[in-house]
Amino acid sequence: MQMRSFTDYLRSVDDAALLELFTLRADLISPVPSDIASLAVRACSAPSLARAIDALNQWQFQILEACAVINEPFSEKQIVAVTEKAATEVISELIARGLIYPSDDGMRLPNSVREVLGNEIAGLGPASMAKINLKKLDDAPAAATKVLERLIWGPPRGSIGDIKNPGAGVAWLLEENFMVPLDQRTVILPREVGIYLRGGKVHKDRSVVPPEIKGSKRDARNVQLAAIANVATVLRWADEILEYWAQEPADALRAGGLGVRDLKIIATHMGIDENCAAFIAELVYLAGLVTIDADDKILPTNNFDIWLTQSASVRWQALAAPWLITSRVSGLVGRAESKNTAALGPELDRVNAASTRALVLKLLAENKDVAPELESFTKRVKWCAPSKRNPGLQEEMVHWTLREAEWLGITGQGVISKYGQEFLSGADLEIIDADLPQPVDHILIQSDNTAIAPGPLVHDVAAVLAIIADIESRGGATVYRFNDTTIRRGLDHGKTGDEIISFLRKTSKTPIPQPLEYLIADVAKKHGRLRVGNTSSFIRCEDPALITQIISDKRLEILSLRRIAPEVMICDMDAHDVMNVLRNAGYLPAAESTNGMLLTGPRSSRAQSKPRPPRIIGELEVPTDAALTAAIRTIRVGEKSSHKQSTLRNIANNALGALPRTTANETLDVLLKYIQEQRSLSIGYADNNGAVSHRIIDPLKISAGSLIARDHGTGEMQTFRIPRITGVAPL
Amino acid sequence: MTDGPLIVQSDKTLLLDIDHAMSTECRRAIAPFAELERSPEHIHTYRLTNLGLWNARAAGHDAEMVIDTLIKYSRYAVPHSILVDVAETMSRYGRLRLEADPIHGLILVTTDTAVLEEVIRAKKIAPLLGVRIDNDTIAVHPSQRGQIKQSLLRLGWPAEDFAGYVDGQAHDIELKQDDWKIRPYQELAAEGFWHGGSGVVVLPCGAGKTIVGAAAMAHAKATTLILVTNTIAARQWREELLKRTTLNEDEIGEYSGAKKEIRPVTIATYQVMTKKKDGVYAHLDLFDTHDWGLIIYDEVHLLPAPIFRFTADIQSRRRLGLTATLVREDGMEGEVFSLIGPKRFDVPWKEIESQGYIAPAQCVEVRVNLSETERISYATAEPEERYRFCATTRTKRNVVESLVAHHAGEQILVIGQYIDQLDELSETLGVPLIKGETPVKEREILFNKFRTGEVTCLVVSKVANFSIDLPDATIAIQVSGAFGSRQEEAQRLGRILRPKSDGRSATFYSVVSRDTIDQDFAQNRQRFLAEQGYAYKIIDADDVFQGKI
Repeated sequence: MQMRSFTDYLRSVDDAALLELFTLRADLISPVPSDIASLAVRACSAPSLARAIDALNQWQFQILEACAVINEPFSEKQIVAVTEKAATEVISELIARGLIYPSDDGMRLPNSVREVLGNEIAGLGPASMAKINLKKLDDAPAAATKVLERLIWGPPRGSIGDIKNPGAGVAWLLEENFMVPLDQRTVILPREVGIYLRGGKVHKDRSVVPPEIKGSKRDARNVQLAAIANVATVLRWADEILEYWAQEPADALRAGGLGVRDLKIIATHMGIDENCAAFIAELVYLAGLVTIDADDKILPTNNFDIWLTQSASVRWQALAAPWLITSRVSGLVGRAESKNTAALGPELDRVNAASTRALVLKLLAENKDVAPELESFTKRVKWCAPSKRNPGLQEEMVHWTLREAEWLGITGQGVISKYGQEFLSGADLEIIDADLPQPVDHILIQSDNTAIAPGPLVHDVAAVLAIIADIESRGGATVYRFNDTTIRRGLDHGKTGDEIISFLRKTSKTPIPQPLEYLIADVAKKHGRLRVGNTSSFIRCEDPALITQIISDKRLEILSLRRIAPEVMICDMDAHDVMNVLRNAGYLPAAESTNGMLLTGPRSSRAQSKPRPPRIIGELEVPTDAALTAAIRTIRVGEKSSHKQSTLRNIANNALGALPRTTANETLDVLLKYIQEQRSLSIGYADNNGAVSHRIIDPLKISAGSLIARDHGTGEMQTFRIPRITGVAPL
Repeated sequence: MTDGPLIVQSDKTLLLDIDHAMSTECRRAIAPFAELERSPEHIHTYRLTNLGLWNARAAGHDAEMVIDTLIKYSRYAVPHSILVDVAETMSRYGRLRLEADPIHGLILVTTDTAVLEEVIRAKKIAPLLGVRIDNDTIAVHPSQRGQIKQSLLRLGWPAEDFAGYVDGQAHDIELKQDDWKIRPYQELAAEGFWHGGSGVVVLPCGAGKTIVGAAAMAHAKATTLILVTNTIAARQWREELLKRTTLNEDEIGEYSGAKKEIRPVTIATYQVMTKKKDGVYAHLDLFDTHDWGLIIYDEVHLLPAPIFRFTADIQSRRRLGLTATLVREDGMEGEVFSLIGPKRFDVPWKEIESQGYIAPAQCVEVRVNLSETERISYATAEPEERYRFCATTRTKRNVVESLVAHHAGEQILVIGQYIDQLDELSETLGVPLIKGETPVKEREILFNKFRTGEVTCLVVSKVANFSIDLPDATIAIQVSGAFGSRQEEAQRLGRILRPKSDGRSATFYSVVSRDTIDQDFAQNRQRFLAEQGYAYKIIDADDVFQGKI
């Protein structure tokens, strides 16, 4: 069977090869194609090829470029000739990826590969049509050499003044077909000439081996210590941001996400910079611990409550795992060039974010003895995944990922920690629990009204303390401060003074200083001494006996009176109704105003709203002379203009039967003529929806594809786009 | 994780567990770079500040040593960001240097041209600079030495000052230690100051700051100007110097309202220095009239503003500030640091107490219930009158009487703010009163009588807040004060902290009206002392009446 096409090739390979292809290009089997033919179509489609090409490292990419610039079919030998010996290995790798394939007469590229690689691959021009004698290049005149030097490494195009009158160098090159004219002003260097001048190679630097990662060595113990500190810190940050939002929910922007102001607020609250705050915000968002609620409030979710009860390793994993695979890039928040990109907002997703992150972490894991230095590390990343589309972002992504890995404790002092290694290998993370400082369940209270938790507090103690004290300092330990406001807050949360004291007595390792006990007792004594409530009416009486009688009067139960003092009762009903009920029951109440005045006499009511007498209809006032003359003037002026408009409209309507139709050139000619003669004319003009209307205009000038003219219909200057003018006709 | 005594917090505070076996060792190790903020019973709080780190650099410590110390003593892993921050902050120091130059007088030199470029563009710095000499050097107007240091500090590029100090006119001064011995901490403080060149020494009241001053003078061996709060303090300084140093009476001059002597060692009062005559400070010239080698500011927390301004101009003279409480209610601590100099020495009060150099003291807050009528009048008083009203209630007088009776035989000071109240108390108790209008001579006589024991109880106004040396006073009763002033409370306690001949402990009573703003102010006043580890005990006035103290 003859084998020329990629489909033929795919039909010929064994299962192992297909398996490898699918492993390397997972998109080919999602969904699974029905047969080899459709597989081939998919594998040759531009998106799939682009994805496959993106996955190549620098060296593989260079070989593919070399294959693409050589005429098909080609042999391995030819490729080695224009690159390096090491190319042979890569060729089989490229075959495995289906980016080149062997056929009967040599190797070929699937159809679309060249298109995906783009024009002027490797900075080389198109193949020459004419026969050329490359040897002659060696004795090219100096002027020609100078021109060539500029074009050797691409781009292969150059612009010249005028093709008919080139300089001496260019003229020689054109003559010898070493340069081909593209148009009046552009020339291009043919591929053969380029390769010849490049010394027979396609690329200047052939990146056979990956660039080395440089970095500084770190003490392994310190790395671990730093990493565990980072783990503890990131957990605390997450805790703090969520607690903060639980107390003071931030408002999401209308476009979605966290506003700059709110970001600043949480950054200040946590004592970290805004980049870090944005990262933490995204982290808890990805982990599902926070969400943007229906009323646009950013609030912790129920998961937060579950999260709080979990062990440190589980909590950490809940943060780190989504980060690893997300396509969202928190580093984009708050950059000068993208001010409106908000954390938790819709604009943070980037293609390749996850793969770049994975690559960075993989390289970190491979170089686990050094804290990589950013520059060499970035070079290595670029070699592994040369990003064709957005190299700037990739560089930043590397920087951000290293930074975020440190914040998370995947690295410590820049070196991958054992937690990071275990995490990346998917192992159990119980070592985190073992290495984190064990939670303490006690505090030390001091006479300056502070309490210190000398380590991470167990959750329920921390929760109570958060209510009855303010946090003054955070870190490995927590410093709390008590004052009357915080104690009052505790009381407002339903604790009694005694409960607070006994809680502190139980929790504190040191005796409670007497001033603090007094403080709590004092505040508790005063708390709630004043009571405030809502009511509609009150009943008071100098004689408590009468009040008692009313309270026990069965007929008045309907009023559901409540006695709040020996001489005062309150009722939720309106004072007027209460009076009526009381009167019916045979009592003799009198009304009292809010400032204590006795309201006697018959009750007479007044409306609450402002007076609004009805309008008078049918009768008119006699207008003044001035008003009359003004009215006449207005009418006359209006009449004049409407008459003018209606005549014009008539003309236009008359012409409607024959909407002017002219060709584009005619239109322009006529317009120019009328502009010169300054005369009115009628045009057909298409609006946004394609409906053509008839206008009478005075053309004024033409500029930038538009006609500026006065429309008689509106009497205003208007801009007409010339392509939309369907035709012109004289009036 | 080690089991160290130190916890490094992410807000750059350091918590030192003083019940830990290694706490003393750790305290010594972190003292050079961390500033003591609070020292209550169990956990002391230090803070890493830029200033503190730069001072450590100036004293020859490097970032590595600071980081090693933190890691060595830390209980938990130290946050990496803090270590990075320490290294970065410390590396900022010394990139700019102020040097003396034979041609240009004073020059600013850099090792990092970019930094110089940055600072000379700063608005506050530009006017202080002269001609650019070369890429890395620029001339500075010599009179702006203080200003430029201050401004550079604010920009975050502190200049290392190599321009040195003028020696001043030499004058031989030695400590005369025949019947006494300088205490270790006093010596450390004086040395700390001397090596730093200028700065502030913070020691508790009664811990012998005068001797630190004398020791500093003995280091400088030069003519000295001493600025003190009032005439009585001036005389005490004089006595003390005569007793402790080789100076004789003719070498020490007093420059006050009463006398205007300028001698090799001159003691001037803030009051006379800031007195205006025809709208100008007539006596500020004193700084210039003599080639002083050392200027000592006593009670530097009270330094008045005009002296601040003048101090900026004399940055080439050595300056020593002394205080017990570097708490300024006006928040000018920063100015003190940059103009007089950074804190060179600080030690927790309780530590000095445990060494026996100041008397152990007990602080008691006596809560007085207002009578029903007093409560009503308090409730209806004008807001600005309220404090005065509740601070001077009648019930307080009864409590003071009971307390004085309870402590009969001991040396008692009754201290208050309001003269009417003090007049009444003086009358009721039948003891002498010292207030602002009491002539200096009479004050001296009364204080002397008190010292000798002829008088056992004195009622004093705020004139006795500072610098009054009354060694045997063991009881102080405070009836009212300047609102919520923390340093006043501490200074008043200081009056009774001199170690007693029989090792007795002192008691400080603060009489407070319950449920009034008096109580709120008291809480604020007590903060400084509480942070120094003085735990207040609260008792009820009824307990006092029943003798249950």
